[in-house]
Formats: sequence, structure tokens, C-alpha cells
Amino acid sequence: MNIADKTKHEEKLIASLINLPTRDRNKIIRNQPLTMQEKRKIKKKVNMEKQKSANQSIQLNYCTQCLTHYRHFKSVTSEFFQSLDVWQRTLKIIGSKFGTSVLSYFSFLTWLLKFNIFSFIVNFSFIIIPQLTDPKPNNLSFTGLELLTGAGSFQQTVLYYGFYTNSTIKHKGSNTSYNMQLAYIFTIGLYLVICFFSLLYSMACSFRNNFINPHVYSRGTAKLVFSWDFTITREKAVKLKQRNLTTELKENLSEIRHENVITPLKQRLSRFCIHLAAWIVSTGVAIACCAAVYFLAFNNMKFLREHKNQAATLLLPFLVCCFNLFVPLFYSSFGLVEKFEIPRHQVLVIIIRNIFLKISIIGILCYYWLNSIAVSHEECWETLIGQDIYRLLMMNFLFTLFDSIFGEFLRRIIGTKLIKSLGVPEFDIARNVLELIYTQTLLWIGIFFAPLLPFIHMITLFIMLNVKRISLMMNCLPPSKVWRASQMMTLFIFLLFFPSFTGVLCVLAITVWRLKPSAQCGPFQGLPSIIHAIYGWIEILSNRPSYLWVVWIYRNLIGSVHFFFILTLIVVIITYLYWQIIEGRKIMIKLLHEQIINEGKDKMFLVEKLLKLQESQKKTNTFPLAQERREQEVSLKWSKDGHLFILDKREWSEGTKVNLEDM
Amino acid sequence: MGSSTSHLSKELLTEYQELTFLTKQEILLAHKRFSDLLPQESRNVEDSLRVRVSTEQILTLPELKANPFRERICRVFSTAPERDSLSFEDFLDLFSVFSDAATPEIKSHYAFRIFDFDDDGTLNKEDLKQLVNCLTGEGQDTQLSTSEMKQLIENILEESDIDRDGTINLSEFQHVISRSPDFTSSFKIVL
Repeated sequence: MNIADKTKHEEKLIASLINLPTRDRNKIIRNQPLTMQEKRKIKKKVNMEKQKSANQSIQLNYCTQCLTHYRHFKSVTSEFFQSLDVWQRTLKIIGSKFGTSVLSYFSFLTWLLKFNIFSFIVNFSFIIIPQLTDPKPNNLSFTGLELLTGAGSFQQTVLYYGFYTNSTIKHKGSNTSYNMQLAYIFTIGLYLVICFFSLLYSMACSFRNNFINPHVYSRGTAKLVFSWDFTITREKAVKLKQRNLTTELKENLSEIRHENVITPLKQRLSRFCIHLAAWIVSTGVAIACCAAVYFLAFNNMKFLREHKNQAATLLLPFLVCCFNLFVPLFYSSFGLVEKFEIPRHQVLVIIIRNIFLKISIIGILCYYWLNSIAVSHEECWETLIGQDIYRLLMMNFLFTLFDSIFGEFLRRIIGTKLIKSLGVPEFDIARNVLELIYTQTLLWIGIFFAPLLPFIHMITLFIMLNVKRISLMMNCLPPSKVWRASQMMTLFIFLLFFPSFTGVLCVLAITVWRLKPSAQCGPFQGLPSIIHAIYGWIEILSNRPSYLWVVWIYRNLIGSVHFFFILTLIVVIITYLYWQIIEGRKIMIKLLHEQIINEGKDKMFLVEKLLKLQESQKKTNTFPLAQERREQEVSLKWSKDGHLFILDKREWSEGTKVNLEDM
Repeated sequence: MGSSTSHLSKELLTEYQELTFLTKQEILLAHKRFSDLLPQESRNVEDSLRVRVSTEQILTLPELKANPFRERICRVFSTAPERDSLSFEDFLDLFSVFSDAATPEIKSHYAFRIFDFDDDGTLNKEDLKQLVNCLTGEGQDTQLSTSEMKQLIENILEESDIDRDGTINLSEFQHVISRSPDFTSSFKIVL
């Protein structure tokens, strides 16, 4: 940049900064690509200008002072939380060795861990503490098998739904009372609403950041070249990354070369047949798994009714976990015969097949719970479901431990000692993330039947974080393909939202509205359905004049069909408007792109013309003026509004601008 | 870290916090790391703010040691006339740009300057060639052949050179980067 240009830019900046509040000013100065000294100079100048004008009217009002205090408080608290972030160090080490792709799995894991800590705090403070102040005797003895089965003496603890009372807890001495029924339903309900909005928010944010381009011109070669991963700092990791990148670039180039060659019909047909066969096999396997789970669940229920054997309850979770561990391995072996033109499609297809398997198994289990256990007239069926989920989570946790400790370890030993061609295993991000989504879905279903479940999940996640980290460091290599980490993260959050969380909402809605809670235990005993707790509460409130507004809100907004109809209509209209805006913007972008190309052509044309002019002047060489001019270097510059100026490099000033359009 | 708190004055710390994207802890940590690079006798506050550390010494930091762009990074952030040494403030500027809190705009601006090997304000074919060589490494087995390199550069220009003038300027570069969300998370060096 020219010096004169620079000072002008600086003056402009200072002028624009004077009228801004301190905070915005600092933000803009910080955002300038300047060195510290230059930034400091600008700040000083702005402050001087500011003081000149401030002398005329000193207005340091109370509000700004408040804001400064608030900001100070905010920075102190954020620093405090940052010091609490114990995983910072761990994540840095992982990033330095494996890059952002593997790091994204671990950030997802820590995000889930934090989320579960929040769930635990909510449940603990609003449901569990009140129940603990009103303890019931627990006369079952602890044998140790409970840790796995979740039954036995755990049955009579705050872990499960059945332990909670339906009465109002009254504090002796003072008059305060606490309605357990309402606390239970409102805590879980509000927790789910918070989950819904936070998921929606994070999904929208990552969608906006990662899919902003309405149409893609490129294959991403430029992106590949410009996005070196600066987080990697180990010598070995850098070498590995360079090698992977080279392969990726070469593949990219060969793809472009082959793009124009159309694959023959026969080859395309055979490829299509292989895809079709793979889909049929994978769907068939998933359905077979579901059927196996279904029959085992029913037969097991009959068996358990006759023999009260605790260990037999572990059979079903064991089978489910086996399916979850081995079927995805079977799916990934399809890769040997199934070839994809675009490598990214392979990852997507594997993810779709796996999520289909996992979600349908959970779906079958939910069907079994809601249609068999809930109507089986068992004593406290809610607790039974809670126990089932507890067992599934525990078993899954053990399988994951087993998989990382033995699976990856053995694979490395085989790869490095026995069959050298296999090499060290790569860390499979997609499979691991899907595992996390699966357990989180189970947890969300279980939170109604076992409110202490987030606590257990929190502990298992914490152990998993450390085990996975150690196993990764010892056994694995970073993935060799370029992994579009942030786009994949968007997909994963979407999966967490769409089949997983919405499915959970449906299951819980059926439980709350349709099913009859067990008659002998739990906070909702004796009611025809759980939602009647709310109806009863509204009924009581409508007798109290001071709470009529709550009743009004309930009757006209939450309980009314018309309100939701209008709301849906408004949402649909807004969506349609945004859709139209997007369409318009797409056309706009296309036109602007064409305009830029045309202006570039103009520029090239004018440069050529100027050079010719110079040449001809060189030849004539008669006037002394021309002589002088010949020595001057002429360069072109575009001003911001798109006009073209000839600039003289040596004596650049405002006056030497010549508008080329006049030529 | 507790002992270094008394080193930098409070005013200076606040100023650094205002002018960079770093938090107080990060600034103190950066100061500690910078002081460790200085010779034993000049490890006090006045000297550490005045003395410049040569590029060779900066490059002994484990965060930069293996980075293929290490020399370019130091050159871009140096304010010395010879562009061969970094003062503490240059050092802070460096880690501010590579910090988590820095905006994508400023990150892409400095990425452009790092990739602009001849410092002429645009990425031309020669710059791109050097950039690709940095990415693939020096090893014989990893380097691209001449024809591959030529085609790769052509592809890059075709994708990013919107006005078709044969070079990539800052705004074209930022346009490409804006479509690559992984850039912000990977253009990061944590102390």
C-alpha cells in the first residue's frame, strides 16, 4: 500500500472512530491488520480528538459507568471459566498431533459432557434434593451386581422414577411446601424445551457458518491449498500431514483429468447393481437385527416373569451392543467392493446406514417398552424401563472401553508386528461420533424414567474421554483423507436433532399423554395419565383469582388448537419469504460475478492499450515531454466504486488522477 | 505464572488486552515464553519490552518449530527494518492473530500476507508454486511433478481468480476462505 494512501485511510478511520462508544472503538481498532505501534498511534489520536470535543461538553453519565463495571465483571468471570476449562491442555495436545478433524470429535465429546453436567445440575436441584429431604427406607442389600444391572438395591433409590413420592413435601416448622408431581413434570419439560432450543440454535449457527455458499463452482482445490492446519505442531505429524495432502492433491488432479472421460454404460450399470445390492443387504441386516432384538425382548420378558434372575436381564443389552459393535464393522467392509466416484459420498453412505441401524434398534426397543412393558400391569413399569436404559448405557460403555482398549490395541499389534501392510489403524471419526449420538438418545429417553441418569452418563463420558485419548495417542493415526470437519459437525448436530431428539420427544409425548402411570409407585400414581397432573393444577389455580392469568395463558395459548394453527401459519409464511429472499440473492450473486469478470476483461484491455500507447510514444520520441513521460512507470488502480484511474507511481497525488473514460 | 503477574504493569496489560484478541492469562503466558527466549541477564520487564529476539530463536518455540510457514510468519509479523527479529509486541501481535478470538477477516488478511512470498500484494503463480511446495514438503517422494504443479496452479486460479487477471488479490482470497469454514479453526496456534 502506498504511504499517502495509508495516511488517508488512517485519517478516515480516525474520523469514523471518534463518534463511537469506547467498546466499539476498541473492537474496530483491534480488527485492523496493523502492528501494535500503529494501533496505539491511532488510539492516541482518537483520544486526542475526543478530548478536544469533550472539553465542550463533558457527559460521563451513570449508564456508561455501569457498563464499564459490567464489562469488567464479565471479563473477570470469563477468565474464571477459562481457567476452569481443564480440557484446554488435552485438546491442544490432540490437535498438535492429529489436527482439527480428530479434534472435532473430542470437542463434540466435551460439549456433550458439559451438556450432561448441566442436565445433572437441573435434575439434581429441582427433583433429587427435594426428594432426599423426604427419605424413604431402603431395605434391599447391595450385592455389587447392581452396578451392571441397575436393579436390586438401586431400585429403592433416587435413581428411578418409582422412588419419588406423589405427595407435597412440607417442611416442618415453616409453611413452605413443594409439590413433587409438578416439580417432576415441569423440570423434565423445561429441560427438554431448553435442549430443543439450544440444539436448534447451535444447528442454525453451524449451518449459517458452513453452508453459506448458495452455489459451488469449485471442487475445493483452492480450499485444500489455502487451509493448512496450523494447529499441528509435531514434526512427525507435520510430515504425515504433508504426505496425506500430496496424495489428496494428486487424487484431485487425476479426478479432474478423468472428469471428461465418460464411464462406459456397462461399468455404470455394474456399479449401480453393486450399490443396490449393498443397500439391500445393509437394510436387510438392520431389519434382521431389529427382529432379533424384538423377539429376544419378548421371550426374555416371559422368562424373567417366571425366574427372578438378575443376571438374565443382561442378555438383551448384550445383544444390542453386539449388534452396535459388529454390524458397523460389517458395513464398512462393503467398501472393498463398493466404489464411489466422489470419496465424500462413501462417508455419507456409511453414516446413513449406521444411523438407520442404530435408530431402528432404539425404535424397536421403544415400541417394546411402550407397548409391552407399559401395559403389562407390572408393578412400577416406569422403573423397569429406567433399568433397561441403565443397563443399555452401562453395557454400551463397557463395549466402548473394550473396543478402544482391545480392539484398537490388537489392531495396532497386528498392523505393526504381523501383517505390516495393514499398518497402524486410523481413528474412525464417523463411527465414534455416531456412538455418542446413540448414547445421548438413550439418555434423553431415560431421563424421564431415571432422573439421576445424567450423573451416570457424565461419569462414563469422562472416563471415555480419557480412555479414548490414551488409546488415540498410543494406537491410532490421523485419518488420511481430508475431513471437512465443520461441515461434518453440522451434519452430526443435525442428526442429534432430527432422528434422535425429535424421536425422543415423540416417545415422551406418548408416555405423558397416552399411557396410564403405575398405580402403586412414582409421583403420578393414581392418575389416568401423567398430563392429568397439569389439568388438576390448572383446576386448582382457576379457583384462585390471583392466578387467573396463568389459567388464561394455559387455556388460550398452550391448550388451544387455534393458537398453534396461527403460529404454524406465521412460521410457514416467514419461511416462504426467506426462501424467496435466498432465490433473489442467488440471482444477484450470479449477476455480480458476471460483472466482476467483465470488469476484469476491461482492465486487461485497458492495460494492453496503455502499453501500446507507451510503445508508440517511445517510437516517436520527439517531444521532451514525451521523453520524460516514457520514464514514468504507469500503473493502474481500481478505486472502490469501480472507476479506473491511471496512477503515476512516482508522484502520486490526488491531482494526477486521470479518468480513462475520457480517453 | 504467579510470579510474572508482578512483572508487566497493570496499565500495559489493559492496553494489550484492548489492542489484541488475547486474554490477560494469555498475555502473561506469552510474556513468560518470550522472556524465556531472552539471555539470562535481560530477563527483566524493561529489557523484555525493548529487546528484539532474532527469528532463529523464535523458531525454537515448539509451537512454530515444525510449521512449514515458520519463516514467513516471522517475516510478516516483524517490525524490524530487516524483518529478521521480533519484539515482544510483534510476538503478541502474532499470537493475537492466531488466537481463538481473532475474527475470520483478520485471520484471512494475515494468511494472505503469509502466503504472499514476494510481498507484492497479490498471489501470483510463483507464490502459489512456493505455497504448494511448502504444503507437500521437501521430500522427493512427496513433491509434485512439473506438469502436475502447472495444472494444480491453473485449477487454483480458475477457482479463485474471479476477475481473471492471472493473480489472486486479497478480496478474492478472502472470498475463497469465506467458503471454507475449516479455515478459522485451523488457522490457530495456541501457546
